[in-house]
This record gives sequence, structure tokens and C-alpha cells, in this order.
Amino acid sequence: MSSSYARVVKSTEIPSGGRKVVEVEGKAIVICHVNNNFYAIANRCSHAERPLERGRLGQGWIACPFHGARFELATGKAMNLPATEPVVTYPLRIVEDWIEVLVEAAPPSGG
Amino acid sequence: MSTDTLDKGQARCPGAPSTQDIIAADKVTAPGWVRSESYQFLGDADIPKNRYIDPAFAKLEFETLWKKTWQFACREEHIPNVGDYHVYDLGPYSFIITRVTDTEIRAYYNACLHRGTKLRASGTEGSTDEFRCSFHGWSWNLDGSHKETVCHWDFPHVKSKDFALPQARVETLGGFVFINMDAKAPSLAEYLGPEALAHIKAWKLENRYVYLHVAKRLPCNWKLAIEAFQEAYHVIETHPQVAPSNGDANSQYDVYGEHVDRFISTLGVVSPHLYGKISEQDILNQFTLGDSSALGDTKLTVKDGGSARAVMAEMFRGMFEKATNTDLSKVSDSELLDCFSYTVFPNTFLFPGISLPMVYRFRPDPRDHRKCLYEVLFLRPVPVDGSRPMPAEAIRLEDHQSFKEAAGMDPGFGGILDQDTDNLVLQQEGLEASAKNGLTLGNYQEIRIRHFEQTVDKYVGRKA
Ligand code: FES
Ligand code: FES
Ligand SMILES: [Fe+2]
Repeated sequence: MSSSYARVVKSTEIPSGGRKVVEVEGKAIVICHVNNNFYAIANRCSHAERPLERGRLGQGWIACPFHGARFELATGKAMNLPATEPVVTYPLRIVEDWIEVLVEAAPPSGG
Repeated sequence: MSTDTLDKGQARCPGAPSTQDIIAADKVTAPGWVRSESYQFLGDADIPKNRYIDPAFAKLEFETLWKKTWQFACREEHIPNVGDYHVYDLGPYSFIITRVTDTEIRAYYNACLHRGTKLRASGTEGSTDEFRCSFHGWSWNLDGSHKETVCHWDFPHVKSKDFALPQARVETLGGFVFINMDAKAPSLAEYLGPEALAHIKAWKLENRYVYLHVAKRLPCNWKLAIEAFQEAYHVIETHPQVAPSNGDANSQYDVYGEHVDRFISTLGVVSPHLYGKISEQDILNQFTLGDSSALGDTKLTVKDGGSARAVMAEMFRGMFEKATNTDLSKVSDSELLDCFSYTVFPNTFLFPGISLPMVYRFRPDPRDHRKCLYEVLFLRPVPVDGSRPMPAEAIRLEDHQSFKEAAGMDPGFGGILDQDTDNLVLQQEGLEASAKNGLTLGNYQEIRIRHFEQTVDKYVGRKA
């Protein structure tokens, strides 16, 4: 299976408390900057599949603006109702000021 | 002179300087709100114990007291931007505290007007531009006006103008957001009264932020938990380790109207219980022991004829000036050192002092009158560059955990809170086991408890 880190955005482009939506392998991902840490979380709430991108960032969480479910940025774990299922998160690293995320390419269909 | 000949409530700790005597001897003079007294004798009958042990009394409180009083719901910094919200829960009640514009905060009853679902889960916060129900999708704008009924054709009887989210009243003071469910309640200013209001305004707590927030469930009625912090009478028995450097039996107690009371407990002076056993140098040694690392190699000494309190005031002034990069030369010794404990009825304590800048909040457990939630928030001045750090989120301790285990808690202070709260399960169970029907109170040192309970009586509609 092919998977390698993909460069998505310069870390300097996302101020503390900010976020940016990027697309890798056809997947929309929110890069969040909280307390000197960067996180990569799918832009799709596990509750009713709405985008998370405009959600409030707290100390290590994002709150879905639609019905208020919060998710841990590091693990994607749901912290409160109405969500119970986790949101997908992606490994992230910073190389020469670039944020890189690891998204496993979907296996070829039928393969 | 025998103290028995005085009018009730007039006796004070014999042979000890009063709090005002101690403060009057300080180098930097204290402001008026420190240098005033407002004690009142309020009777000496026992407090009936059923209010702590009878679930019916707790139910009555939910139906009366909690629906009519001003309550601290969150700090303004918890909802800094338009659209930010914070859910405040009190027993069965729940409110979405929302910033609607830069200058307006509202408190919506947290329930959908279709079939009642909570619009936001309890204990949560976030940001949104509409409140949409997770059940069938009815939605409301930030200003509470009704936005959409899904399948409107089926609800011709639902007129938008009649379906705005109901609100509780909101007022802000010192950076605190207060709410009240009672449309007929007095304003927050009237509720506090002119004197207490002037004190609170003088502290400028709006210029602080929450840097530590710890929450723990306590195994007792909420009122017992509050009362454990309303007197310094327990200090010598419960916290003997602090007696060498804390005034206790000579603390000052004041009441202001129906909803505010306070004590002032001096630091850097020996407990009257230990008079003759402790020198001024001992006071200093005992005090600095706990925090010797912050002092490096400096050895503090009391010069002949000097006082430990004066040395400590100078040390604190230097330490806090450095830490906060501000000029404290005009801030009084008393404000730097002493413990000022105010209660705003029903469930909030404000500690405006500089050495212990805290807020306490106590909330009853809606399912168990023998349990409550205790929170302590530490407030720090906002940095001089004006930037406002994000408020700390609550660290939730398990029932068996020590306060010392909360990251960021001073271990000495965490130990004091453990001592305070360990008494409470024994007190709750003892009241239930007791052959005696009431609690007996001291006329002076326990006046805040009587004051508090008389106001409880007023709200639940019983005569004291
Ligand atoms: S879609 Fe995110 S909470 Fe419902
Ligand atoms: S209960 Fe809220 S939309 Fe039905
Ligand atoms: Fe105590």
C-alpha cells in the first residue's frame, strides 16, 4: 500500500488558535494549531457528517458548530453527545516549516 | 474583664489584637474596603439540621432558592467572541450562555421548543452561528429568534415570533457572567447592595484570567461545603500546620445586606492559640518553609523590634512585582498578604487578595442531596502586554483523589483543601446520626454561617 507524508501547508501560515482545511488523497482535513501543537483531523463530524472546520478550538479539542459534539484533536475521540463515534485523525509532522500529514491511499478497488 | 458582661456578639478573642489593629500597623495603608467593619448579631438559636439531610429540603431549594438568585455562570473570557457559548448547569437546570454581540451576552434555557431535547450537552462549550437541535433539526439564530422548523407545512400552528428561545437574565460584573431565572429579581447591583458592590468593583477582577481550574465532587450537602469555608475558627484543629503564621481566632467577620458576607484572616501573625510559644522569627521561618525554593538562598530575618508580617509584606511585594511586571509599591501590605473571603449568595466565594486570588463555586447534585460539586479557580492578572491567555479548563478530580494531584496546584494548599473536605463526610454522616436536632454556632466567628442560612430560609419561604 502506498503511503507517505504529504506536504500541505507552511506551519507559519496557521497562527495559534487558527485552522486551515487542506485536501490530501481526496480527503478534506482540518489542520488545527492549539497551544504550540498542530493536529490533523478529518473535516467530517462523526455525528451527522457535517464539516468541523468552523468549530471552536479549545485546549486540545474542536467543537462541531452544528450540534456541539467535541472531539479530542490528538485521538479524534468523541468527548460529548450527540457524538459517540470518533473522528479520523492523521499523523502529522513538521519538516523545514512545512506541515506534512500521512494519509494512507485507498487500496485500488477490487484489489 | 469578663466577656460575659458584653452584649451578645460583642465579645472578641481576649488578649489578641484585632484584624483592624494588625492592619493599622502596616507600612502601606489599606484601602477603605479593607479598613471597615460590618458585623451584626443575628441571633443565637440552633440551625435545624434537616436542611442538610432531608431530600425534600433539597427539592424545595431547587423550586425556590435556585430559581430566584443571581449565580456565577462563567467568566466573560470563556466566551470571548460572538457565537461562543458555554453551558452552565445547576441541578436540573441548564443554560446556554452565549455572546450575541461584542457587548451582549444572553442565557438561553437549554432545551428545544419542539420536543425538549437539550440543544447542547451539559458541561460543554463551543462556537456556532445557530443553535440546531440534533433530534429533528429545528434551529434558532444566535439572538434566540426562531430560524427554521423542518417540514414547516406540518406545523402551521408554530409561529416564529412565539418560538424564540426563552432567556434567563444576565448581568456582568468584574469579568463574571451572572444569571438569574427570576424575571422579578432585583438587579445584581441591588442584590449585592451598595457597599459590597463597591468592594467588588474596587478589585477590578475583570483584569484577571483563569489560570487554574480544579473541580471535585464532595460527599456532603452543598451548604455544609460552603460553611466549611466561611469561618477561620476551624483552622487551629483542622490545619494546625498553618497556625504559626495565620491569625485565626482574631479574624474579622462582616455581613452586608442579605447576600454578601466576608472574613479577613491575617497572614504573617501568629494564631492567638499559640501566643507565648512562637517568636516573630519563628513565624517567618514557618512561613517560608513551604516555598523556600522561590526564595533561593535569601535568609529572611526579623530585625529587633520588627515584625515578621512587615518582612513578609516586602518579600511578597518584590515577588509579585517580578512575576506580574507591575508596580505594587502602593498596594497595601494587607492586600498582598491577607485572606479576604467573600460569599456572594448562594454559592460563590470571591477571594480578591493577591497571595490567594481564588474563586470557589459550589453546586448541588440534582440526584443526591448528600453530594455537591466544588470548583476552585485561581485568577491571575492578565499579562502587561494586554494579551489574554485562554482560560484554563477544569481539571476534574476523581472522588478518591487528593487536591495535590491536580497539575499546577500548590501542594501545601492542596493539602489544606484535603483537610477541609475530609471533615465533610464525617459531618454529613454525623448530622444524620446525631441525637441533637440542630447546629450550634458561635456569635462572632460563625456569623457568616448564620447569615447564609437566614438567607436560605428567606428563599425557601421558612422563618429562621
Ligand atoms: S454534525 Fe457535528 S455534532 Fe452533529
Ligand atoms: S426535539 Fe428538537 S427538533 Fe425535535
Ligand atoms: Fe480550612
